[in-house]
Amino acid sequence: MELKPTKSLDERGEVCPVPDVDTKRALNKMNSGEILEVLIDYPLSKERIPSNSTRDGHEVLSVEETGTSEWRILIKVK
Amino acid sequence: MSIVYGLITGLVFGFVLQRGRVCFNSAFRDLRMMKDNFMFKVGLLAIAVQIIAFLAMAQFGLIQLNPKPLNLVGAIVGGYLFGLGMVLAGGCASGTTYRIAEGNTTSWLAGLVYGLFAWATSAGFLSPITKAVSGLSVKVASNSALYLGETTGPTLATVLNVSPWIAGLVFAGLIFAYLFGTKTTPRDTAAWGWVKTGLLIVPVAMFGFWSSTVSGRPYGLGITGGWSNLLSAVGTNTPINWEGAEILGIIIGAGITAAAYKEFKLRVPKNGKTFLYAVIGGALMGFGAVFAGGCNIGHFLTGIPQLALSSILASIFFVLGNWTMVRVLYGKM
Repeated sequence: MELKPTKSLDERGEVCPVPDVDTKRALNKMNSGEILEVLIDYPLSKERIPSNSTRDGHEVLSVEETGTSEWRILIKVK
Repeated sequence: MSIVYGLITGLVFGFVLQRGRVCFNSAFRDLRMMKDNFMFKVGLLAIAVQIIAFLAMAQFGLIQLNPKPLNLVGAIVGGYLFGLGMVLAGGCASGTTYRIAEGNTTSWLAGLVYGLFAWATSAGFLSPITKAVSGLSVKVASNSALYLGETTGPTLATVLNVSPWIAGLVFAGLIFAYLFGTKTTPRDTAAWGWVKTGLLIVPVAMFGFWSSTVSGRPYGLGITGGWSNLLSAVGTNTPINWEGAEILGIIIGAGITAAAYKEFKLRVPKNGKTFLYAVIGGALMGFGAVFAGGCNIGHFLTGIPQLALSSILASIFFVLGNWTMVRVLYGKM
């Protein structure tokens, strides 16, 4: 089942902690039930974004490896 | 032989840094910004265990405790500027160094500028500033044979006039109480848990302090001196020493690890402004680290475990500088 994200952030190439900051801000602004797609290439963010998003109450739908050190994270806003 | 020892230390350190994502910039910043204490606890665990490890090593004559002298201006000003710089650069001294090996172009730039400014501050055009305040450095009488020399940098042990073992055990005990008595931010997604990462740093620090001592440098892990050494080796043909070899080792070790786990990728930020920040950040880090008598690794992983007041003070200002720049760059979260 292909989920269409409500919003997409391309954070590839960005330095620490920009991917995490942008993700958190986007989630805060979105409405409940919407889906955020975040594209990253930073290994630490691959660990931290799902962890912190879950802790903030959101649902991490998937973390998919899309290339060498590249991931696509889908988060459903609580 | 010192080059070999430095290289081995760096290789293993690079592996641990890369796999464990060890970055003290993240540790301090995430504590405040993300209410995430995971990496902070990694650092503190390493420190607590090392307090005891270094005391034992000194007791057995493998090393001698050698805390840096206390220089209030250096620790406060240097510490604060370094703290500001590491946020701009997107990584602390170790973070920037290991991420060079992951292909982060901003780290390449930040690392190079860091090295240049560290060199300039210790021996180049900025060194008059360092010399001007060096007269303010304070040493005290060593109160134990575990210390190197008749005088040494002040520590919690010397100022309270208790044996280093007593001061060390009490301080380590307090840290353990915090570590295991409070909630830790989960990060189940990480390859290594916080306890494993923190503990793995310890043998690297122990081998580092011992091998550096037998190589003529009676101190433990550090990053700044190594960068200065490498740049002066390139610029003025100075021989590479233990610390310079350590830096090369970190980059190679982290590089092999990153490649093995398929995490090497050329990463280029979309906004050119980020490169400007990396340059400014690197410069602040290079100057700040030399001025403060060490970067986050020297103070955190070598100085604080010896209960050095210089390291405790500098570290407090690293954190304050870090939090200031996080507020400036990222505002209220």
